[in-house]
Amino acid sequence: MQLLFEIGCEELPAASVYEAEAQLPGLCDRHLGRRPDQVFVGPRRLAVLVSGLEERTGDQWVKGPPVELREKAAAGFAKRHSVAVEDLEERDGFLGVVSRGRALGEVLPGQLNEILRGLRFGKTMRWDGSGLRFPRPVRWTCARLDDQPVSGHGTKTYGHRFTHGEVDVLSADAYPETLREAAVEPDAAERERLIRDGLDALGGWRDPLGKLREVIHLVEWPLVLDGSFDERFLSLPERVIETAMQSHQRYFPLGGNRFALVANGGDPDTVRAGNETVLEGRLDDATFTFERDLGAGIEALAQRLGSIVYFAGAGTFADKTERLRTLVDRLGGGDASLEAARLAKADQAAELVREFPELEGYIGAEYARLAGFPETVCAAIAEQYLPDSAGGPLPATVPGRVLAAADKIDTLTVSFSLGHKPTGSRDPFGLRRAAIGLCRLATEGGLTIPRELLDGDVAEFVEERFEGLLADVPVEFVRAARAANVRDLGSVARLAQALAALPDERLEPIHTAYIRASRLGEKEQAAAKLDAKLLTEEAERAVAEQLGEVKPELTAVLETGDFEAAVEAGLKLGPVLHCFFEEVLVMDEDKAVRENRLRLLLDVRDTLGALGDLAQIPR
Amino acid sequence: MPLNYQDMIAALEAYWAERDCVVVQPYHTELGAGTFNPATFLRCLGPQPWLTVYVEPCIRPTDGRYGENPYRFQHYYQLQVVLKPSPEDILDQYFGSLEAVGIDTRKHDVRLVEDDWEGPTLGAWGLGWEVWVDGMEVTQFTYFQQLGGMDVDVVSGEITYGLERLAMFLQEKRSAFDLEWAPGFTWGDIYKESERQWSIYNFEEAPIDALMRRFEEYEGECAHLLAKKLPLPAYDQVLKASHTFNLLDARGAISVTERASYIGRVRDLARRVAEEYLAAAV
Repeated sequence: MQLLFEIGCEELPAASVYEAEAQLPGLCDRHLGRRPDQVFVGPRRLAVLVSGLEERTGDQWVKGPPVELREKAAAGFAKRHSVAVEDLEERDGFLGVVSRGRALGEVLPGQLNEILRGLRFGKTMRWDGSGLRFPRPVRWTCARLDDQPVSGHGTKTYGHRFTHGEVDVLSADAYPETLREAAVEPDAAERERLIRDGLDALGGWRDPLGKLREVIHLVEWPLVLDGSFDERFLSLPERVIETAMQSHQRYFPLGGNRFALVANGGDPDTVRAGNETVLEGRLDDATFTFERDLGAGIEALAQRLGSIVYFAGAGTFADKTERLRTLVDRLGGGDASLEAARLAKADQAAELVREFPELEGYIGAEYARLAGFPETVCAAIAEQYLPDSAGGPLPATVPGRVLAAADKIDTLTVSFSLGHKPTGSRDPFGLRRAAIGLCRLATEGGLTIPRELLDGDVAEFVEERFEGLLADVPVEFVRAARAANVRDLGSVARLAQALAALPDERLEPIHTAYIRASRLGEKEQAAAKLDAKLLTEEAERAVAEQLGEVKPELTAVLETGDFEAAVEAGLKLGPVLHCFFEEVLVMDEDKAVRENRLRLLLDVRDTLGALGDLAQIPR
Repeated sequence: MPLNYQDMIAALEAYWAERDCVVVQPYHTELGAGTFNPATFLRCLGPQPWLTVYVEPCIRPTDGRYGENPYRFQHYYQLQVVLKPSPEDILDQYFGSLEAVGIDTRKHDVRLVEDDWEGPTLGAWGLGWEVWVDGMEVTQFTYFQQLGGMDVDVVSGEITYGLERLAMFLQEKRSAFDLEWAPGFTWGDIYKESERQWSIYNFEEAPIDALMRRFEEYEGECAHLLAKKLPLPAYDQVLKASHTFNLLDARGAISVTERASYIGRVRDLARRVAEEYLAAAV
């Protein structure tokens, strides 16, 4: 049999619709034993069509107490299941009762309520005394089992809010067509297709703030229209226009003075004219605000930062600006970067940013440009929040990269010091994104970011990002490299890459030596200093000699950042160490000889340790 | 001919009065929104049913623009409707009110767009929508969930019409100053100069030291009145303290950290008034 179940609501937020869409298949499976063929979701309804339901539910064996506890527990069990004790059956050493299957029509009302009450949402409300919580009021439920009603649920639904009222759903399979005749497209995928086709027909539409996902659930009967605004507004910066279109109104820019909107029906000319007036009003208001900011000027805006708190416990934006300038300096930024840092946060005092927070950075750069600052400074201000997604583009300019790194270091440092570390999937301050951005600035961006600028926890959190970020480098190599004595963030990545690039057979000798040296050296007492006179065997003298050459070479090459060469230098110890372990018994009976050999091994470990903690790498 | 401003207000009041709403009048002290009127905040506490409609002047000192911006004012009007408990057909009743002022909902694109409301000084929040007509936000619709920091006993539906926006939509005007208030009078005739003068007062002339002092006095008086079990006059002190805070904010006299503490102080008073009001009602 086929079931339709519809939960009718007042207009749900799009986010809640997506939450329900994700849960409905699993809930149907749990309570009906079948996944739906189709899930229909939208602002006023959440519905499922489920096929292949059996007319009766199957008999079920309800297991009770073990046979040997018959005296103690049988009576209670029997009573709970409303049978006489003598009617209990025995299977596999347990007492129990067969619960006879019931007609689907009998059990469905309860199961449907379970589905309704089983939905979980981030934000819910009450609206009456029923105790039910939902993102918005539930106003009806509609159910059909083939063409039969389901007790406790209605058989009517509601069409388009303003053009069609209540309509009868005659059978489960008639549901989608019944709604389409009542000016409701119940299938979200179909609504999306209609909207995309409509937008495509209007030309090159864009969705810079990603509003389409929401718009799909703001309408039940999409009507895609285009409109235009007075060309005088084109003198506003492009993104101000786009943000005014998108952030409140959910319009899609079509280029120039044209835009597209998605309505939920209505007379096209009337709806278009109304929306054009609204957009011009918003642009007028944005112009007013923009001109007030310009009238004040970016320097005056920067002066106001002392009264705007950046983060409770982390001072004002003026304090943040000071920290940014220090960081930029320590990152080796030049005059342009320092000037950009000084003005970077000025737009936090701009009225336009209070109105449209998504314009931060961009509008500060515009104001700097209009005040005649050099393009390098303006570009850096504009690029300070890049990359703004894990794979997003990096700042194109060097001052931009320096400023972006400084901003991320400060954000991470402040957040960690206030205890806002990301946990699990929760990362409200976007710290993972900031850390990944920092890593990418150090690698792809070629920026030298001293590791000493990152506090302990922050360094660990940032460097851990390389574990997911470096393709073809197993995580153990990243962990090994993180322990190396290299000064900047990018070197950690390059060293990990150099180590990971080595064929196993070349890495093997120094890897083995490092691990054996670590183990022996940590267990036993070693001499404080190597004594050349106590080196009795040829093989150990060879190691000491080679070590004397390798150690300064390794240090020198590491200094230059040539990690391939550094690894090669370390590898020179491979052959002599191989001989050493073949020929020399470390644990000599003579205490002085033994302790001297252990010292030699520890020196080997420490020298190779400049390449990282090789013990992290599994064999 | 579209309704002029005063006829539009009259039509809305008549519409809701027909639906058993008590037509109360604006409150006698400055409020940032109709929600602050005791006819909403206090009446929505407890289990007693209550239906009301009233116009409320909203005083928001920081929103003033010296009468130069046709979209922003430090003084404008809301029409507030409260239906407690919220009836099942509350949305249909609301859409009927749009028809009553001449909006054909079949011809226009009327939509409910998620917009949750929070009133931090009242310890209040609710879920609801902004209502769009052809993209113009004309109403804020909220189901109250908490007031005075307490879960509500009975959920009220609050319908707040932005009267200037609604009138601009009806009269197809791009500036509130150009709205016809009554034959021969525009909104601007009545309020443009007032916007200029009050903006000067709010941003430049309001006496910071005296306001700081007054805030403390209202706070103290509120506590005193609560001790005397007089929650109604105590609530007026909350409103006066709240407005005083808004003025200080407009004067730039409150840093962001202090801001949170001022809001917390007002919220604390509002919570105590709500508790006392409920206790007195029993």
